[in-house]
Amino acid sequence: MSKDTGRKRVAIMVGAGYIPGINAVVAGAALAAGKLGWELVGILDGFEGVLHPEKYPNGGLIDINPQVLNMDPNTGSVLGQSARIDPFNFRTINKDEMVEEVDMSDELLNKLKAEKIDAVISIVGGKGLTILYQLHRKGLNAVCVPRSIENEIASTSVSFGFNTALTFTIDMLDRARLAAKATHKIAVVEVQGEEAGWIALQAGIAVAADAVLIPEIPVDLKNVAAHLKDKMSVKKPWGLVVVAQGAKIINQPKNEEPVSSLKASLSPLATSDANSEFVIHSSGQAAQAVATGLQLRIAEETFPMVIGPWVRGGAPSAVDRQLGVAYGAGAIQALEAGKNGVMVSFVPPDIKFVPLAEAINKVRTIPAESMFFQVADSLGIYVGK
Amino acid sequence: MIKSLGHAGTHRRVAINVGSGFVPGTNAVVMGAAIAGGKLGWEMIGIRNGFEGLLFPERFSGGGIINLSPELIENLDPSTGGILGQAPKVDPFNAPSVNGGKKDLSDQILKRIKEEDIDALISIVSGQGLGILQKLHLKGLHTVCIPRSIENDIAATAVSFGFNSSLSVTIEMLNKAYQAARSAGKIAVVEVPGEHAGWIALQAGIAVRADAVLMPEIPCDLKNLAKRLKDKISARRPYGLVVVAEGAKLVDYQVKKDAKSSPESIPAGQVAGTVASRLQKLITAETYPLVIGAWARGGNPTATDHQLGMAYGAGSVQVLKAGQNGVMVSFMPPDIRFVPLKDAVDKVRTVPSESEFMRIAQSLGIYLGNRL
Amino acid sequence: MINQTKNILDITGRVLNIQRYCSHDGPGIRTNVFIKGCSLRCKWCGNPESIRLKPEVSYDPKKCDGKKCSICLKAPFPEGGFYFVDGDDTKVKVNWQLAAGTTEEMVALCPTGALEMFGKTMTVGEVMDEVEKDASIYRSTGGGLSMSGGEVMLQPDFAAALLQEAHNRGINTAIETACNAPWASLEKVLPHVDTMLHDIKLMNSERHKKWTGVGNERILANFKKAYETFPNIDFIARTPLIPGVNCDDEHVLGVLEFIKPHKNVIDYELLPYHRFGLGKYESLGVVYELDDYKTPSDEVVKRFQAMIDEAFGRNRK
Repeated sequence: MSKDTGRKRVAIMVGAGYIPGINAVVAGAALAAGKLGWELVGILDGFEGVLHPEKYPNGGLIDINPQVLNMDPNTGSVLGQSARIDPFNFRTINKDEMVEEVDMSDELLNKLKAEKIDAVISIVGGKGLTILYQLHRKGLNAVCVPRSIENEIASTSVSFGFNTALTFTIDMLDRARLAAKATHKIAVVEVQGEEAGWIALQAGIAVAADAVLIPEIPVDLKNVAAHLKDKMSVKKPWGLVVVAQGAKIINQPKNEEPVSSLKASLSPLATSDANSEFVIHSSGQAAQAVATGLQLRIAEETFPMVIGPWVRGGAPSAVDRQLGVAYGAGAIQALEAGKNGVMVSFVPPDIKFVPLAEAINKVRTIPAESMFFQVADSLGIYVGK
Repeated sequence: MIKSLGHAGTHRRVAINVGSGFVPGTNAVVMGAAIAGGKLGWEMIGIRNGFEGLLFPERFSGGGIINLSPELIENLDPSTGGILGQAPKVDPFNAPSVNGGKKDLSDQILKRIKEEDIDALISIVSGQGLGILQKLHLKGLHTVCIPRSIENDIAATAVSFGFNSSLSVTIEMLNKAYQAARSAGKIAVVEVPGEHAGWIALQAGIAVRADAVLMPEIPCDLKNLAKRLKDKISARRPYGLVVVAEGAKLVDYQVKKDAKSSPESIPAGQVAGTVASRLQKLITAETYPLVIGAWARGGNPTATDHQLGMAYGAGSVQVLKAGQNGVMVSFMPPDIRFVPLKDAVDKVRTVPSESEFMRIAQSLGIYLGNRL
Repeated sequence: MINQTKNILDITGRVLNIQRYCSHDGPGIRTNVFIKGCSLRCKWCGNPESIRLKPEVSYDPKKCDGKKCSICLKAPFPEGGFYFVDGDDTKVKVNWQLAAGTTEEMVALCPTGALEMFGKTMTVGEVMDEVEKDASIYRSTGGGLSMSGGEVMLQPDFAAALLQEAHNRGINTAIETACNAPWASLEKVLPHVDTMLHDIKLMNSERHKKWTGVGNERILANFKKAYETFPNIDFIARTPLIPGVNCDDEHVLGVLEFIKPHKNVIDYELLPYHRFGLGKYESLGVVYELDDYKTPSDEVVKRFQAMIDEAFGRNRK
């Protein structure tokens, strides 16, 4: 593809929720764009700034200029945050005052054209990535900067946001460990990780936990209990178990109650199990389930703790600030190189560009031969293998 | 060892122990006392786990008593807690016995102290512990106490050690909670330590400029809180932070305590959940409860608490040397003093209404539950 | 009124499920026809599969044959909708965004039934054939046909036709609705209704909008007009009790105030909230928004019930 260095107007936006470091990405993109003489605008609140500019006193687009480079990294994201991240199923209230989901993707693309936006840089992960891919298939010139606290986005070794979350998690686990030590109990701490156990395992190793439960390896709690019993003693009358939010437990006794008729009347497809046949990944449940399950099998007291809600606040770590800036600049490089429909990928020491089609539907779980498992093993940390 | 000539203030063998509940930096206190006592030529020993080391030495490998020698002390890390463990949350005057009733172990404790040749006991305790030590003192125990309290609610001392560390952690966590609330567009209702007094809640709340602080000293009417929040929360600022002390009181509502789910058996989470749920029905914004509780109790002591701890430890030795008995060491900056135990017991240091902190909070627009 | 040029039995609707032997959907033992599609978005919804009108695919990993089969990874299934991951996990994964184009015909190709569709197109005739099976039970218990969902008023032609046909066959009718729809839809449906169970979720409109997506003015106006326009319908008000949202005295008293002047509102029922919808959220790929709220306590519910009994002049034990 030939280089395309004509002056461009590029928009940058975020997907759902806030993670530390977004401003660094914006700063990186702004610097790189500035050097090329390109214009960088931010779309406020995901797609809202373009689809509903009337909601904003100064319009839904903001100029990203040198001012932005003096942003305090601690004050959230200059791009706001989106509630409605899916333009293909955009929740609206229709003229009959009824709520429905409407496909506004065409309108979105038209409005972007009307704003003379040549390309969109989207800081997204997960579902946002698929949505960007869908928009690209409809003609949008798009580049994705991968964001993920869990680091499960395949095709890139390190998403930004991961390092901050990992550092914070280790910090919190240290505290949990002290609390467990002081009170002679077993702390069962739930950490981020719905699909992959990177945070759980790496943090668990850093604090020398007794056991780490990750989504990659379903465990039977009786084995965890046995391991804990071995490790705990008069000299070490406490324990620390790290549980990823998406950890899977096998051989849990289920209580089979028949479906009550009231329940059945309200929900035709109700099943008797409150959690149904499907694994539920909501905050706090994993820690609770493991703490309760272990308590039934071990004498010492277990107590659950949850890190989840706390991770969403805070300043990005030094690594993530640098990574963020590099990613932002990388996105502009991609556009300069004429690349379209790609995700910026960091495969140390290079920044690469991966086609969106190859980036979706891939979850980067911890491979069986990962050295982290070996380290954990030699530290006596139970992971279920 | 030189045998005691019975001079007032000369001791041969002094023991140190720690009451129930974990407070970061206890090691610093032990070090301060051990070093100061060692310099006077006293033999300093530690009793493990409150009085357990005396009553049930067989439970501890290496016995229930530790020799606090200079070598041991040198290698001690002041930032970890717990070389002496901590007492179980049991009143020795009313200990549950194996066959179901209650037993008074106090005589046994005093007997063992004599058997072990212990002249005096330095006890690092919280409010409840003070009461127990006072009773033992009345039965003949020669003792000096050091107050430790995360909440700073021990009367008769301006600053307990442990408070500064806990305040530090709480402020850090509240900052995170505020940012998390911001990103979620909700109102975080965060429960912080403070069963009897609102020092932590108020001071931390001021530090992070919370929207409201609920303390045990001022029962709060949630309707008024809701009104104030409605003024502050808007489309431009759709998030907020309400800080709630563990022991906060609500007007015309009894918070039910559920004593499980936290390492200290303190009913963590009930107040935050209750306030969040009831508040949410009075306003449009969504609330979500968070509990700092366990996190605040597992942390490293700050530099201030290191120094304070050492000073308290050394101070307790000075107080013993001066011939005092049955007193609590008290820090009234810049002096270390002592107060008779009977004057220190059962006095909770709550935040007075004319406190400077209250004024500052109000001038910052932080709602405290008193006037609208 | 029904368009008479089309045979009433051929009118179609999007049906989620037909449930027999229901005892909480009106008088007696009834058959409840759940239709798909709702005009509110209540954050606590226990039936996520009923929210959207269009048919949606659902997936049960337990039934999936995994890497031995790969039928859903190829055409005619939507590209990228279903995929495998590397490693030990052999089950199919669903990309809900991309899988949205899955149809009934495609799902029929899944050999194990791991893939299913929520929402079938059915005619009034087909539905009534099912419903009529229990005709003798209706006669002996005072039961009949019930409709709920989703929102009945979102398919007013189908609902009106179905209910009318039930009457034609001597079966009494009941509907469950939240009435977030134009009055014109109610006008079509209500002439064929014997009992109407209706949800009053929140009395404060601003909070109603926060928790359900729209304010409640039109909804309450609909209720009032329905009470006044249809004196012969038995109206039963209902509230799903959600702690932290509406589970308090003010709400219950507010509802009792609202229904008091109308003699055809014969009862007010409370439905303590349960989280049993959560499993289905996972299978549909929808993010559940209401995570932390527990079931209302028994004492609280008893207390409200006593208030209601008093208002209706009843002496229950």
